[in-house]
Amino acid sequence: MLKGHLDLIVLAALAAGPAHGYAIIETIKRKSGQAFDLPEGTIYPALHRLEQAGLLSSRWTTAESGRKRRVYALTRPGHRALAERRAVWERFSDAIGGLLGGTAPCKSPA
Amino acid sequence: MQESRMIAAYAESLARKLDFNPSLSRRVRQEVQDHLWEATAAGPPGNRHEAVQRAIVNFGDPHVIAAQFATAWLARQTWKVGVTGILVIGGVFVAMKARVTWYAAAQWGLSEDMRDVANAVGWIDVCAFWLSVIMGIAGCAYLVVRRAPLTALCAAHCNRLRHLLFLSAVSAVALSVSVVGDGVLTALRLVGREFSVEFLIPISLMVIEIACAGILIFSIRSIVVRMVHTTALLKT
Repeated sequence: MLKGHLDLIVLAALAAGPAHGYAIIETIKRKSGQAFDLPEGTIYPALHRLEQAGLLSSRWTTAESGRKRRVYALTRPGHRALAERRAVWERFSDAIGGLLGGTAPCKSPA
Repeated sequence: MQESRMIAAYAESLARKLDFNPSLSRRVRQEVQDHLWEATAAGPPGNRHEAVQRAIVNFGDPHVIAAQFATAWLARQTWKVGVTGILVIGGVFVAMKARVTWYAAAQWGLSEDMRDVANAVGWIDVCAFWLSVIMGIAGCAYLVVRRAPLTALCAAHCNRLRHLLFLSAVSAVALSVSVVGDGVLTALRLVGREFSVEFLIPISLMVIEIACAGILIFSIRSIVVRMVHTTALLKT
């Protein structure tokens, strides 16, 4: 289930502001209530892919520890993509919610 | 420090699998090391050795991560090949037209005894060039018709790139034949004339054509080599 939505999850995690890979993972875990137990390394191909698509930008910074660190941020198209995907997701979620919470599905066509 | 060696070894194992893209490989090595140190420091207090091991396990299988990077790389190369092909063919076309215009302006005709050879070479040249254009256009049409999102499966990107490389290779061979033909035609016009500064114009236009064809061949070759490496990575 997660695979198809990883891009949306990463974009949403960066909505609050720029962050490095580990911080993004932590944000995803915290905000999802630990629901997504994905291998942490899979975030990096997704970040790279989103950067190639122009939805993220990145730059090297130096952490307090002195290590070099890559920090990612949403670009303007990234903000737009997040808004669009969020709207699609909300419509989908409402539709499924309506189906599951509504009347029982037809067993056979009329 | 054993922990630092463990982290370096893990980062190195992932970076080595990304050799098909050296700059990506360097970048990922650095990012992975930073991530693992951060994860180790954030772990519960206690045995540091175990904390590093846990961080590495949580990070995931380097092979799987490398394969995900490879998928994105293959998708990007597909567009790169298509765009390079079109730009190169366009470059050769402009240089070719400029050279022909120069011959007309300078009234550099062919001698009677060279005309038959020039006609035969010219015919091969034109056929080869248009074959190259058709293959280039077919490649671009293929890219547009068989669009694949970045999230598509790696096999889909592999197949697209393989088909496009085939079209580009045919286009490159045809373009090379056309450039050789242009070289022969240029030589036929230059032979017997006294060397002057004017020679530099057709010769430099020929150099541009050769450089364009070279760029296309070199880029196809480089992508084929890297693709072989990448597909081997994905198969294992």
